[in-house]
Amino acid sequence: MSELKLQHLDKIYDNKVQAVYDFNLDVKDGELIVLVGPSGCGKSTTLRMVAGLEDISAGHLIIDGRDVTQMPPKDRDIAMVFQDYALYAHMTIYENMAFSLMLRKEDKNVIHQKVMAAAEILDLTDQLNKKPNQLSGGQRQRVAMGRAIVRTPKVFLFDEPLSNLDAKLRGATRREILLLHKRLKATMLYVTHDQTEALTLADRIVCMSMGHVQQIGTPLELYDTPANIFVASFIGLPPINLFDVEIKDGRAVCSDFVLDLNDREKELLAGYKDKTVVLGVRPEDIVQGGNIPVKVFTNENLGQTTLVSGNLGTHKITCKFREWCSYKTGDTVNVSFKKKHFFDKETTNAI
Amino acid sequence: MNFENDAVIKKDRLRFTKNKLSANLSLLAIVFNAFYFVSIYKSDVGNYYYKLIIGISVVYNLLFMLAAFLSSEGVKSYKMNYSYVLLALGAGQIIRIFILPRAARGATVTLSDVEQNVMESGQFTRVCIYLIISAVLCCAAAVINISKSTTLTKYQAELEKKQKGASHE
Repeated sequence: MSELKLQHLDKIYDNKVQAVYDFNLDVKDGELIVLVGPSGCGKSTTLRMVAGLEDISAGHLIIDGRDVTQMPPKDRDIAMVFQDYALYAHMTIYENMAFSLMLRKEDKNVIHQKVMAAAEILDLTDQLNKKPNQLSGGQRQRVAMGRAIVRTPKVFLFDEPLSNLDAKLRGATRREILLLHKRLKATMLYVTHDQTEALTLADRIVCMSMGHVQQIGTPLELYDTPANIFVASFIGLPPINLFDVEIKDGRAVCSDFVLDLNDREKELLAGYKDKTVVLGVRPEDIVQGGNIPVKVFTNENLGQTTLVSGNLGTHKITCKFREWCSYKTGDTVNVSFKKKHFFDKETTNAI
Repeated sequence: MNFENDAVIKKDRLRFTKNKLSANLSLLAIVFNAFYFVSIYKSDVGNYYYKLIIGISVVYNLLFMLAAFLSSEGVKSYKMNYSYVLLALGAGQIIRIFILPRAARGATVTLSDVEQNVMESGQFTRVCIYLIISAVLCCAAAVINISKSTTLTKYQAELEKKQKGASHE
């Protein structure tokens, strides 16, 4: 396996639309990097540039110390797993998995060993004589992964591989990908718009928006210390609650509530006296008991947790309590904020 | 999956690959049969061939092509019975040498008051070669399929035995 370096990558289409701006990333050997972001943020374009399916307008792509920027896809030694599987319908699963090796004119016995080994890893041994249309979506996706595995490429690329699966199967296949990564210790680049996939799979996450990298870090870093409002809103489910607050006399004053700041927060916000900043509070950091009254309008029990949505004066707020609650519409629950995030209102960057 | 040696891998491969060699040989036999009947039917020898035998020949050619094609599909998936069909078709091609070509070989026709041979020795040799090649291809396809399907059947029995042994343990 190998290292991957993306240096100042830009993608500008013929119609002058720029999809990716100055993308920089160093992927270590055996690392699983997840590119996450909303539709149209440039994550798939970046992946396709790495695969060689899109030209790189500017910058360099280095795989294992070799500049492959101008190299055709077949010479880059990478394997890609697509969202729609891209299996050959007229071939059996065995033939699908063996096809790329047959094109390379590898020895038939070697091909057989590789296909059987991949099939065993992916639990597909009993399906090898079937055609793709006889398999379920999850099995087809495993075949697509098997086709990549047999090539033992330097880098695996996954382009939203779980998007076509139902929720239950998605969870199971996600765990399989994680196990596969641990087993193969392969360098992987994974694109998704699903933050759950990103948080559960990634060694590091690259969060993108509008073609720009917003933050690169471990899942915990992105969740705990988001670089800006976009990352804070995008990572975490339900999304973070945001309020405009004015910093006055060691307190954060909102139109609907006033919060006393602790010493660390006062020090952090020393430069923002009498200025408006954005306060972010994750729903799971809101606890029952306190002096902030929330007027409940929905109460959703999820088993171990309860999602309570309500109004905090003119603001909407979502709370995630760790206990089973039975609030009715119109009830008032007093809450307090355990952990707060502050963002500069103008730059949207974290303070 | 651990394989002891290349011979075992070769056997194991049979479980997942088609017998394309036999299938292609059968299709090639059809091609050489086509060369044969085109060579006969394009002969410009008046109405010499306008007899019942040519009707039977046409029907047999159609049946041969159908049977050889079906056998090609059959042997592709290691079906033993189609090997016997191919052997029969191969034998039939040899027998055919002694029917139409042999009869035409010594025969003459008079066209525009000129007597001429129905089949020159060159054409006779050619059609014989076509039929022989067709027969050999049919037989080769059959023999290869018999060999491969026997190997596969034995190997699958071995695997089943191993699996049963493992489940008993």
